[in-house]
Amino acid sequence: MNLTSKPLAAIIFVIFFGGIAISTAMGTWVTESTKEAAVYTEGDFAGQSNPADIRGSYTFGDVEKNFGISPAVLAQAFVIETADPATFAVKGLEEIYAANEFEIGTASVRLFVAFYNGLPIDLSIDTYLPENAAGLLKERNLTPEQLTYLEAHTVPNPAAVPAAPEVAPAQGAESAPAAEPTPSVAASEASTEKLVKGKTSFQEVLDWGVSQEAIEQVLGLPMPNSLTKIKDFCTEKSLDFETVKPALQTEVDKVK
Amino acid sequence: MKIFGKRLFQPRTIWIRRVVQWFFFLLIALIAVNHTLVENGGGIPFLSTASLHALCPFGGVVTIYQYFTVGTFVQKIHESSFVLMIIGFVMAFFFGPVFCGWICPMGTVQEWVSKLGKKFFRRKFNHFVPEKLDKVLRYLRYVVLAWVIYVTATSGTLIFAEYDPYFALFNFWTSEVAIGGVIVLAVTLLLSLFVERPWCKYACPYGAVLGITNLFRVFQIRRVEATCKADGACSILCPMNIPVDAVKTVRDHQCISCLECTSEAICPVAKTVVFNAGGIK
Repeated sequence: MNLTSKPLAAIIFVIFFGGIAISTAMGTWVTESTKEAAVYTEGDFAGQSNPADIRGSYTFGDVEKNFGISPAVLAQAFVIETADPATFAVKGLEEIYAANEFEIGTASVRLFVAFYNGLPIDLSIDTYLPENAAGLLKERNLTPEQLTYLEAHTVPNPAAVPAAPEVAPAQGAESAPAAEPTPSVAASEASTEKLVKGKTSFQEVLDWGVSQEAIEQVLGLPMPNSLTKIKDFCTEKSLDFETVKPALQTEVDKVK
Repeated sequence: MKIFGKRLFQPRTIWIRRVVQWFFFLLIALIAVNHTLVENGGGIPFLSTASLHALCPFGGVVTIYQYFTVGTFVQKIHESSFVLMIIGFVMAFFFGPVFCGWICPMGTVQEWVSKLGKKFFRRKFNHFVPEKLDKVLRYLRYVVLAWVIYVTATSGTLIFAEYDPYFALFNFWTSEVAIGGVIVLAVTLLLSLFVERPWCKYACPYGAVLGITNLFRVFQIRRVEATCKADGACSILCPMNIPVDAVKTVRDHQCISCLECTSEAICPVAKTVVFNAGGIK
């Protein structure tokens, strides 16, 4: 069977745009990032999202989706004044900290997330964090090596935004009589609110001081990847979230 | 074609291919501009705002390793690249690398520049590189392919974007473009004055992948020896310098299925160089 140029041109159009149409109908024609971080492929953390894969195009909301750290905490750490921290793009940090002698940017967020969640990250490169971020991390269980690194890589908060010792958890909330809380204070309040909700992950409950054993006792099952949303897990395992939620909340309240 | 000063045969061209090339060039150019406009708060309605990476089938090829080992795509690559890769493979399986000859805007731009080269150098054009050296250089694109796949698999990032002339061509007005890409693009366009499609011949990793299908594709370029006048016209006009007049079936890994060698174009004898599927009647 001979084929000439005009039918070939028509066939090219049909296959090309037909293929795209079929793919669109199947929901596989995706031209934008799903903002899903790559996972560690080996070692103790295999299968967990790798903070080294955080990109400048990620918003704080995307970081929360991947690593379970609330946008309010990230905004507090990086001294970002915005009404909706979840929509703040990580690459925006470079502009805010442009005047700084040491670069604060996407790498800083990667470092913060890794230290915050106790995940491994390459420390052979100099990456800097603002005082707020360092302050929050010192409340976590850092290794001596991480603490030393942090001490050597902390830079002042941006001059335009007040340093935020008053927004330290609990103390700050009590000692802030101002009628209109600053965004940083609001961030702090959000981070200290320990309520089990639909979006709460197991990691958050662990962060609040509840042990894995206590969680597993409530669930009656082994705990999955700590970044899994509790509600998603309940749905997957046919558990009643409305039963699990108050039981976990009781555990959280015990350790408050 | 003139013999003893008389015009015996007016070379034809596959004009529909030029139309298709223009269409895809404009489409990709508009989408690239639209992507920039959207990032700055504007945009052209009803037109895709996808990034160039999302519309590159080679992105699908380089992300295969990460997709099957980790389950994610290489940075900046999306599902659409995978879909386009499959579409490219389907077309190539049946018709050879028509993506290169009919769709790829990088090939189109090289052809446009080459028109100038043809005017300057006439018959010398596309015959500057010594045959022996040329033969060896043709395999360079497989080295590029292996390098790109290796560095992408080990780094998880799209390192090739730093040197990709296609990306530079449609992003030279943005801050995303890498100097390496601009340099490769400039060198490619300069070389296009002397050689037809230099990037495709010597360096394009995606062309390397699609070129393999020339060995087994369904529709092949075939020369009917019984009616062939052996005037060599098919070989002279082939942009990829394939000696069509020396073979019965073109299985050269460099063929781009442009059909310029066929009886529909340069070959003066009807049904002598044809594009057909041997087994299908």
